[in-house]
Amino acid sequence: MDVAVADRLQFAFTIMFHYLFPIATMGLAPFIAWFAWRGSKGDAEAARAAAFWTKIFAVNFAAGVVTGIPMEFQFGTNWAPFSAKTGGVIGQPLAMEGAFAFFLESIFLGILLYGRERVTSRARVIAAFAVWAGAWLSGYFIVATDAWMQHPVGYAATADGRIEMASLWAVLTQPFALWQYAHVMMGAMVAGAFIVGGVGAYYLLARRDETIGRRFVRAGVIAGAVFSTLVIFPTGDRNGSDVASYQPVKLAAMEGLFESTKGAPLAVIGMPDAKKRELLDPIFVPDLLSFLAYGNARANVNGLSAYAVELWPPVELTYYAYHVMVGLGTIFSAVTLLGIVFLRWGARLYRTRWLLWLLLLLMPMPYIANEAGWTVTEVGRQPWIVYGLMRTAAGASPTVSGAETLFTLIGFAGMYFLLGTLFLYLTLRAIGTGPGAAHE
Amino acid sequence: MSSVAFVLLAFMLGAYVLLDGFDLGIATIAPFVGKDEEERGAAMRAIGPFWNGNEVWLIAAGGALFALFPKAYASAFSGFYLPFVVVLWLLMFRGIAMELRGHFATPMWRDFWDFCFSGSSALLVVLFGVALGNLLRGVPLDADGYFTGSFGFLLNPYALLVGLTALAAIAMHGAAFALLRTEGPPADRARKALPALAGATAAGFVATTVYTLAIHGFTAPWVAVFPATAIGALIVVLRAARAGNGGRAFLASSALLASLFGAAAATLYPHLLTAFPGPGGIDISSAAPSPAALASALAVVLVGVVAVCIYGSIVLVPIFRQKVGTKLKP
Repeated sequence: MDVAVADRLQFAFTIMFHYLFPIATMGLAPFIAWFAWRGSKGDAEAARAAAFWTKIFAVNFAAGVVTGIPMEFQFGTNWAPFSAKTGGVIGQPLAMEGAFAFFLESIFLGILLYGRERVTSRARVIAAFAVWAGAWLSGYFIVATDAWMQHPVGYAATADGRIEMASLWAVLTQPFALWQYAHVMMGAMVAGAFIVGGVGAYYLLARRDETIGRRFVRAGVIAGAVFSTLVIFPTGDRNGSDVASYQPVKLAAMEGLFESTKGAPLAVIGMPDAKKRELLDPIFVPDLLSFLAYGNARANVNGLSAYAVELWPPVELTYYAYHVMVGLGTIFSAVTLLGIVFLRWGARLYRTRWLLWLLLLLMPMPYIANEAGWTVTEVGRQPWIVYGLMRTAAGASPTVSGAETLFTLIGFAGMYFLLGTLFLYLTLRAIGTGPGAAHE
Repeated sequence: MSSVAFVLLAFMLGAYVLLDGFDLGIATIAPFVGKDEEERGAAMRAIGPFWNGNEVWLIAAGGALFALFPKAYASAFSGFYLPFVVVLWLLMFRGIAMELRGHFATPMWRDFWDFCFSGSSALLVVLFGVALGNLLRGVPLDADGYFTGSFGFLLNPYALLVGLTALAAIAMHGAAFALLRTEGPPADRARKALPALAGATAAGFVATTVYTLAIHGFTAPWVAVFPATAIGALIVVLRAARAGNGGRAFLASSALLASLFGAAAATLYPHLLTAFPGPGGIDISSAAPSPAALASALAVVLVGVVAVCIYGSIVLVPIFRQKVGTKLKP
């Protein structure tokens, strides 16, 4: 197997598996902080909720650390030329993640988990907020690193062909990073909301822990409605505009637009065929793509044909991943808004079993939407590892063969199967034990 | 400035060795200090709150190496691809085994997972030692700094000696921590094992030092400070073990381990990856980015690490002073 393809497969597999856990930690941390804060005001049920979600958070955090270790080193093992060339830039935000965010998160999580009887409820609130800050800060440094690979700024090329940091400030504060970060965090919050709401729905459907279950459903539905709006507008919209400005080929692949068009339509569904260069069986909304990308319904949007084929990302994968994300996002918005209606309408939500079932079954879907979003970002970046600066194929380690990477990829798959089974068992058991017993 | 970066990196790795060292160490000696599963359970609970956080030091050190010496980061990890991935798997498997032992109520499965946990931890320690040994001895490198030798080359007598010394030192550190954090029979057995483990560590250290001098010759006189502190720490470990003073034993064992690690780092300096047969290799000036970029990386890592040391010790130490008993607390 071609070594760069094997390396990409391994990176994709390990990062997508790893990312399942940060989705939950970033999405649940604000809920834990909220419940801990209510708990410190004398709300005993909220204190139990905080302890319950902390347990689930901890399982996710541990799995995140364990699967995060290979990520930290994979740049070196499989992408040595990339690391040697750009490490002067991307090493810094990654090191900052370790130095600033991880310790914050792990130390204060330790207090919430093992020191809870030894500290006051006020200290628990502080610890919960510190864990939240750690989780979100960690996300920030990772997104800033990725944003630099999408839209490199603040660097200087050296005489021997390396790329070095010219301004850390520029790397950390570029608009591309800020909007992408906001979008990623809102995506994680949607996931957190559906986890909280879904577990609540489960308790109501199973007719157990019903008081706290109603509370989870309410929190999940309200937060879900808020964040599934924010994930679309303004964050998704602005992130999309950045892609339109800086990565027009990616935009064309996302939308399956092959020919440059003035007043480009938005394809709601359709199947792109990169060989025939057309979108099969599409359903279009006229002019909408031009409007969304450039704020002008008559604006020209470049199609893929405007670029050399060797600059195209894998069109089908980018297109489908994008449409899965957007489609699911629309469903999240619709279901949570419906949930709010049923909540306000005499609290009917708690008795409407089909809607509770829907909330329960939708619980895994934000994970898919988040992963699909990242697939758009990273697959759509190809053939570049750093946009416009370095090709992906040039970044793969020369000393590692495709067969070796394939071997380790299969090994990681085996290890992650074991880990995934353990994770599911622990999480389901914590949900089964329930928040009633969390305080023992 | 690249020397400051080297010291900072050595400090972070040293913190990893001292901190993850005690939980790897407890895992290594758990079959000997805990005769039944309840006692082993106590040993596990002694490290329960810590191991995850301790491994964060490894991730942070990896990030710091990436930022401070990108070239060394790139060639070291891609050159030793398969051995390194095996280390990663062992690290993961160890965490999984530790977690799983608690979820199988039958003695047979507990024994099995305890064996997996202790075995993977001990093997990990030996492999870390072997890796360090190869860094010190040097490995064949091509012009771009990529490893060109075979798997078998890495398992040379010198590296294996360092691996076994590491195992003895980490086991000693684990025993000192067991004495500090547990009570009853496990603490008692840890106390009895301490002198022998400390002796084995000292013997390994002496042998390694002689072997190192034979390879590299006597480099700098100030390196001799590390054997001196090691001897001092060894005496304190032995006395504290006799007195049953866990706190002092753990501090002294930390000092001994730090001396050993310091000696290794000082021998390596100014290289990050020594070439075999020398001279040359990747040194701190060839692996670092430009001064401005290095200064920026150094500043952020330094601030972060100092902050962690301050709030970590303020927050954690008072909360986790208490010992763990052999009985599960509800």
